[in-house]
Amino acid sequence: MSLLKPFSKLPGLNAASILLVESEEQFQQSVADALVMETSVTVNVILAKSLPLPMENDERRPRIDLVVFIINLISELSFQSAETSLKYLDPGYFLGKVCFMVTNARNASVPVERLDAVRRLAASLHCPLLFAEDQTPDGVASATERLLIILKVAAGLVPITTALYLSNLTKCTLPSDIDQPSFD
Amino acid sequence: MDVSTKCLLQRLIRRIPSHMLKTTLDQWSRLTAAQIQSVDFTESKRTLTEKLLAICEENECSVSQIAELEMIHMIENPNVGMWYAFQLLEPQDDACTLELIQFKEQFKSHLHQLLRSVSIKIKRHTDDAVWIRIAWGDGISRPNHLKPTYVVHYLQTSYVFVTSVTSKLKPLLSQALVLSTKHHGIKDANLSGRNLMAIRDLLMNQYQQVFPSKYPSLLAEENQTVSNPRIEKEQAQMAADRHKMACEAFGDGTLPQLQSAVYKLETKFKDPTNKTMTDREGTFKCVVKFASTNILESLRHCASSGIASIPVAPLLSSVTLKARNRFVITDSDPGPSSQIHQAQNNLTTDS
Repeated sequence: MSLLKPFSKLPGLNAASILLVESEEQFQQSVADALVMETSVTVNVILAKSLPLPMENDERRPRIDLVVFIINLISELSFQSAETSLKYLDPGYFLGKVCFMVTNARNASVPVERLDAVRRLAASLHCPLLFAEDQTPDGVASATERLLIILKVAAGLVPITTALYLSNLTKCTLPSDIDQPSFD
Repeated sequence: MDVSTKCLLQRLIRRIPSHMLKTTLDQWSRLTAAQIQSVDFTESKRTLTEKLLAICEENECSVSQIAELEMIHMIENPNVGMWYAFQLLEPQDDACTLELIQFKEQFKSHLHQLLRSVSIKIKRHTDDAVWIRIAWGDGISRPNHLKPTYVVHYLQTSYVFVTSVTSKLKPLLSQALVLSTKHHGIKDANLSGRNLMAIRDLLMNQYQQVFPSKYPSLLAEENQTVSNPRIEKEQAQMAADRHKMACEAFGDGTLPQLQSAVYKLETKFKDPTNKTMTDREGTFKCVVKFASTNILESLRHCASSGIASIPVAPLLSSVTLKARNRFVITDSDPGPSSQIHQAQNNLTTDS
């Protein structure tokens, strides 16, 4: 099994690499374009539809500091694809180097169970869960900002903080009434 | 002009959109230039209708002339209502040298023989399509011009496109078509849609087809959208392969606009977890319908984005390969296999 390993390569100088995994391959492109505009750090972005990544590119690939799973709540396929991709990550990543980003949470056609399922998944893996708005440039910009904060910590570029410390603060927690039926 | 003629004209003018009214009337050329000048085409539809009604009364337009106007409008704007495609079978030896005049005479005479009161108009369009407008009547009554049938045929091909015709009159139309085009039979091509040009392009393969090739072209730098070298697309090759296979199944560029694909299943219900349904005798009848503003684009997108599995399932790719959008799927035997079985509507004549 070709697991993606967090510490098997050397880091670059003042550089951070982020892997965006999204089944629809739409939002990741706009986030990538915004991420590379960052000037204080050299950001390398890798886009994928699902894991595992092809073996041929393994040599050229830099060390991946943060893996972001972008899930579109409208489609069940998106969630399932993200779930199956999780198996291909080395457990070392789950110490603060994995993050879930969810789009279209406000859409009326989304069943409540799906968001709950994503929440449970993120909480069980101790990963942060971010909500993003993908249709406007403002939404893309704010999602990028938040990702950059986590990325810089995960790449070790922020003194005194490590990814594991940050994930303790930002990880997803389940509300105590998650098993209660909702109002509609 | 009697009441029914006036009614016909009124309905027609109401149907034609205001911006097309002037050009259509010019093409009709039954009104004098002065009369057309006297009408202000920016007024409301109601005043326009009254004015034009008055002018036509003056000119004493007959039903036949109004039918001609309707036909002109229909030719300009054919995407109203459903078109059904038919295929002519077994051409005789001289079917490929059929000419317009011969076809016109034969069709009119055959149809008049079968049904005494029909009103037929035949016109040849600039792109070699022959348009036929038929108003049907009973043995007793006059032809009903409010519900005409339009037929489009490309001479020397075997395709005919028909708008709605009742099932009582369909055999008569089919017989007349078969005899006048010198074929031996006609069958339903199982292809229907709102857009006449789309079903024509699909049947006559006039969309951009992609053929599988082992060696891609050398000039492969078409889409250099990834401008930034720091963005790396890991599975770009897989995505390109998927897109290529989707285009091979459905075609490249803009695809003909079909609105639906219908699959009628007459199979046995098979689900190991549901004993009550599986044990039931008899066939399980079910209809699956895919609908979209452009179903071929939707299917191609499904295949290229990975929602539908690659290689494309034959049930989906048959829509373009066999140029049909109605399928009947039956079991060949009580076993677990199933195959596509075409429901044919053969009408043969003896000549």
